[in-house]
This record gives sequence, C-alpha cells and structure tokens, in this order.
Amino acid sequence: MRTSRNLIYKRILGEVEKEVQLHPNYADLQNQFALLLMVKGEMEKAKNHFLEALRLNPKYREAILNLGFLYLEMRRWKEAEEIFLPEAKQYPKDGFIHHVLGILYLRAGKQKEAVAQIYKSIRYHPFYRDYYKRKGVLRKGVIRLDQKAERALKEIHLNFHYAQFQNFIGLYLAKKGKSTQAIHELRKAARLKPDEFIFHANLGTVHTYQGAYLRAIQEFQKALKIDPCYGMGYANLSYVYGLMCRTREALRCMKKAVHMSPQHADLHYNLALLYSDRRRYEEAAIELKKALRINPDYLFARINLGVLYEDQERWKEARREYRKILQITPDDEHIRKRLERIS
Amino acid sequence: MLKEDFVIQSNIRRMLIRTSIDCSRIDFGTVKGVVYIRGIFQISNPPADGDEAKTVHLTIHALYSLEKKVKSIPGVVDVNFQFFNWRKERGHWVPVDVREKEGEDENKPESNL
Repeated sequence: MRTSRNLIYKRILGEVEKEVQLHPNYADLQNQFALLLMVKGEMEKAKNHFLEALRLNPKYREAILNLGFLYLEMRRWKEAEEIFLPEAKQYPKDGFIHHVLGILYLRAGKQKEAVAQIYKSIRYHPFYRDYYKRKGVLRKGVIRLDQKAERALKEIHLNFHYAQFQNFIGLYLAKKGKSTQAIHELRKAARLKPDEFIFHANLGTVHTYQGAYLRAIQEFQKALKIDPCYGMGYANLSYVYGLMCRTREALRCMKKAVHMSPQHADLHYNLALLYSDRRRYEEAAIELKKALRINPDYLFARINLGVLYEDQERWKEARREYRKILQITPDDEHIRKRLERIS
Repeated sequence: MLKEDFVIQSNIRRMLIRTSIDCSRIDFGTVKGVVYIRGIFQISNPPADGDEAKTVHLTIHALYSLEKKVKSIPGVVDVNFQFFNWRKERGHWVPVDVREKEGEDENKPESNL
C-alpha cells in the first residue's frame, strides 16, 4: 500500500500533525498521528506517539493494540507478546486477539504456541473458523501449518492497522463532507477486517448523511450482527427509519437501544417522541421522566413533558414544568406564553 | 397534516451534521413541530488566517442558512433558537458576549448529536 504517495494522506498527515502540536494532551490525536506515521513507515516516531497516547490514557485499547502491531511490524516479538498476552487474559473470548497471537508466534518461529492460539481464535469467533478454512490452514478440524499457509498468514497481520488507517481516513473525509470518498475508504477498512463492527457502523452513518438509507440500514445491521450489544447501533437504525418515516420500525429499534444503553438520556427522549407521536402519552411521560432523572437539566425533555401534561389537561404539573424551564431560560417566549395561557 | 416529532428530530440531526456548523456544543429538541436549537453556535471551518470579520460574516451566513433549512423540513411549524453567543434582533443575527451568557447557564446538557 503506497499511501505515502497519496495526496489525501499527505494532507491529512499535515493537518493531524498541526492538531497534535496544538493539543499535545489529546490521546486520540496522538494515536491517530502515530497510526499515520506507522503506515508511512516511520516506526520509531510512531512508537513514541503511541507511547505518549498511552501515557495520557493508559486504558486506551485502540492505542494499545496499535502499539502491539507496530512491535509486530518491527519484529520485536517479545514486546508485542507483552501487549497481546495480557489482552488475551483480559478478553479471553476475543477471537481476534488469539488470532493475532497465533500470527505473532508463527512469525517468531514458535509453531506449537501458534497452533494453540489459532485453535482458540476458531473456538471463540466463527469468522476465523471460515478464514482459516479458506486459507487452507484448517482442514477437517485440524490446524496444518505448511509453508504455503504460513506465508499467507504472515501477511495478514498488517490488516488490523491498515484497516484502522482506512477507517480514520474515511472518517476524516466524512467530516469534510466528502461522503463518496469516505465510503470508499471505509469499505476498504471493512474488507480488511470484516468482523469489526465499528467500520460497518461508520459506513452506516456516512450512508445516512448521504441519503442512502437502505444501504445505511444494511451496514448498521451488519454491525449489530457482529456486536448485538451495540446499543447506539439500534439508535442509529432508529434514526434512519425515522428519516424514512417508518416510525413503527424506528420505535422497535429505539426500544432496543434504550434497553441496551439505559444510561443515555437522549435515547429516552427520542423514545418518548416516538411514543408521543403514536399518542401513547403515558409511556412517553415515563421515558421523559427517566431522561430527566439521568439529566435534570435536560431542557427539551422538560419542555416535552410540560406540553404533554398540558395536552392531558394536567395543568398543575404543566405549570410546574414550565416554571422550571423559565428558571433555566427566562427569555423563552414560547414557554412563557404557554404558562400564561394555563395560569 | 403535521409530521411526527421524531421524524423532524431525525431530519434535524442529519441536517446539522451535513452543514458547516460545529455541532459539538449544540443541542436540539422538537415539541409538536416546534424545533428548539440551543448552545454555542460556531462554524466548523473558520478561516485559516483567523480574520475575525470574515468569521463573523461566515457565521451569520451559516445562521441564516440553518434557519432556512430547519424551516424547510416538512412538519416544522416554528424554530426557537437559544444560542448563548448569537441572538436574532429585528430580523438580524447579532453576536452576544459568551462569557456573560454562559455564566447564566452552566448546566447545559451534552450535545445530543
């Protein structure tokens, strides 16, 4: 991948470098910059920025994994192992980590350990079972590491950080409003690492903003198939159905989103809108109250609750909510008029 | 026929992200077709030379554009802007001293974008 020749890449590298100089204490910027340097081949410099990201935020998993891949790339097996082994202990069912450890041991000449890790990755992740079959490594349930298989496997360790890189470029282009180019880059990321839900979620988001709603739905559904606990995925699906005026499906998805991520006041607020639109006022009020319990200063939830009470002729409660709103925004003429009308 | 609030809300979410507005400090809600937009209004790509007059000009343009776009969403009956740093006076957008207004409302919720 000759990305250093790519004009977009060069421009992004320059802009991210400036950002890093402006905000040296942002771990995500340090990680992004290091990733760009790594793809450019500036390994030592990249390592320093990954380490800086981890000094700023020692639990930053993406930076931890990126650093691990950097060590792999630099053939520093021991340091790579020191990163991936604790990860495997912390996330024993993460097939991808076992897969990476398998590659690491294979490259380090430790075949026995490599086989053990590959078996684990197959056990915990159906994607890798198919993957190893396709590569001819898994035959009749047995791992066979002949020369050809070894060669194929040694190449694919690069996929992780290239995928991260394409994802980053895609997001960057999306922010600049270049949706078509962004989708192109994000698709590359998803092809390099098809089991990464966030790439599909990002593709779904960019398709949404582009107005390609059916494609957006497909991508969000792929993301949710990989990670069924991804609450925001259901919320995003719900917004897409909202844009298509398919509110029945929007309600179904938003309910799931709230179930998965009950701590998000905004999701309760959106669920309340869906209930209110269907004249299910009691359920709407319950969701608005939940949103306000999470965030008592959630102004819009309070406005909606006040209007809901007013519609139900619960004047006392409506007045109470309107007064609270006017304490926060005394200039709100809409609410003042509503309060005057029912006082 | 009135459009549903959730549909309006979804359209505003999409529209805000597609504009040149910094959405990280903006919050919005919809009640019976009335849209509320609140927070600190800034453009996402201010001029690189830091020219303040140019920034103000671009921001005013973005504000009028936002107003027009929100009103064009089917079902929207009114828009209520509550920006801490910009106010509409007699049909014109004028900047407001942010420090003064921010102090009035320190508990603004996180952006819901």
